[in-house]
Amino acid sequence: MLTVRGLSAGYDAVDVLHAVDITARDGELTVVLGANGSGKTTMFRAISGIVRPSAGDVEFDGRRLPGLAADRIVKAGVAHCPEGRHLFAKMPVEKNLLLGGYVRRRDQRRVRQLLERVYELFPVLYDKRRNPAGTLSGGQQQMVAIGRALMSDPSLLILDEPSMGLAPLVTAQVLDVVAQINRDGIGVLLAEQNAQAALRIAHHGFVLAEGRVVLSGTAADLLDHPDVREAYLGL
Amino acid sequence: MTLFIQQLFDGLALGGVYCLAAIGLTLIFGVLRIPNLAHGALYMLGAYVTYFFLVTVGVPYVAAIGLAAVVLALLGVLMERLVFHPLRNAPHTHHMIAAVGAMFFFQAVAQALWGADFRRMESPISGSVTILGAQISWQRIVIVGTAVVVLGLLTWFVKRSIHGQTIEAIEQDRTGSSLVGISPSRVSMLTFGLAAALATVAAGLVAPINLLSPTMGDALSLKVFAIIILGGLGSLPGAVVGGFALALAEVMTSTYVSAAAGEGIAFVVIVLVLAIRPTGLFARAVQR
Repeated sequence: MLTVRGLSAGYDAVDVLHAVDITARDGELTVVLGANGSGKTTMFRAISGIVRPSAGDVEFDGRRLPGLAADRIVKAGVAHCPEGRHLFAKMPVEKNLLLGGYVRRRDQRRVRQLLERVYELFPVLYDKRRNPAGTLSGGQQQMVAIGRALMSDPSLLILDEPSMGLAPLVTAQVLDVVAQINRDGIGVLLAEQNAQAALRIAHHGFVLAEGRVVLSGTAADLLDHPDVREAYLGL
Repeated sequence: MTLFIQQLFDGLALGGVYCLAAIGLTLIFGVLRIPNLAHGALYMLGAYVTYFFLVTVGVPYVAAIGLAAVVLALLGVLMERLVFHPLRNAPHTHHMIAAVGAMFFFQAVAQALWGADFRRMESPISGSVTILGAQISWQRIVIVGTAVVVLGLLTWFVKRSIHGQTIEAIEQDRTGSSLVGISPSRVSMLTFGLAAALATVAAGLVAPINLLSPTMGDALSLKVFAIIILGGLGSLPGAVVGGFALALAEVMTSTYVSAAAGEGIAFVVIVLVLAIRPTGLFARAVQR
């Protein structure tokens, strides 16, 4: 279970995120909604140790994450699939995936199992495994990014806008796989612009605005909430 | 024709040395994005430490180079920790100033330990072989052979082993590397250790042909910078091709034009390449 308490973070001494409280329960899919610039990406970066929080705490399975090096956080079971993917563009797809298993390198059998699972989820990546990741289409690159995150054998997968820049049909496919990953028992913390599609597959949700949590509840409640319907679903 | 073959072998031997020295420099540039101006000084220390093991301690030649490479690898790691790591968030000019400082420090240490005079390291490998009428010394054949083997091992390490792949991963995407749990600090140390060891192998191989002095790294430093700019900063194949191309150009010009022109040819080539392809021959796109 991930517990975020009073988390503030930002860039160059200017906080973007102000005292945010969020929880993501084990095995559940938790969605974070919010407009561009509402602080979703900053929150994720603070959780996975890319930016240092200026205040507050993050606890995962009883361990405090702030202050841990990024590799310790990955080892603890939190994988972050970032906005903009950050793939190793010139390396073949399979090398990208295997580097995703870097923190599990001492257990090559497990790495092989994880690789097989990723190819099961994204069969197209198996066909493209020898192609440089940078030559794939946007949707396929997103699959590589998700696959690479899964290769670290996480118990919580943080997905930052996996559908950004993708065609609607591809977005639906990606979200289908996200739901499938969650059914396998992996907790997911998802930021998504497509609020309706995200809430359909989620258990819980939070709405961020200007760096604060303005609304939270079960996915079903949020789908019916008048503010959400107006602001994010356009109803 | 005999002269040409003779020079061809000389060029290949020199090219092997340039490659080994240049690869370390290009790796450091790829990972840390800094020009390590102290690289020539590491090469010089590598030569002296090889000399120490071979002449003072008296171990066999190959073992002396190996031991010196280990010592220099440790020194490279130490240098990363003490000089560059504390500056990791500082502007790039600070790195260059620190590197120049390290270079002077290493030269002073070599001078204090071994004196400022030239020293000769006797070639433990003597004799020569006649190939197509040209007399090729065994030392040069050993240089070319060792360079090929070391380059092969290095390519395997960087492309195939998970630890070597972290070097390329950091070069290609720093944030992505962090997110899969690769520690930039560890990769920086690995890169510096590897670069210093490679420079030492180069120095140990060429030491019996050249003389040792505390400033022997200066000319090499300029040339390896020319090579990696020629090959494209951060590119491994670029450093290999650039190393051999420059060495052959240098040797052939010295023979057929004049020795002075040979020394200058490196910079004529680099000016030409930069005028036609400003990013170098094997440029990789730098995204940041």
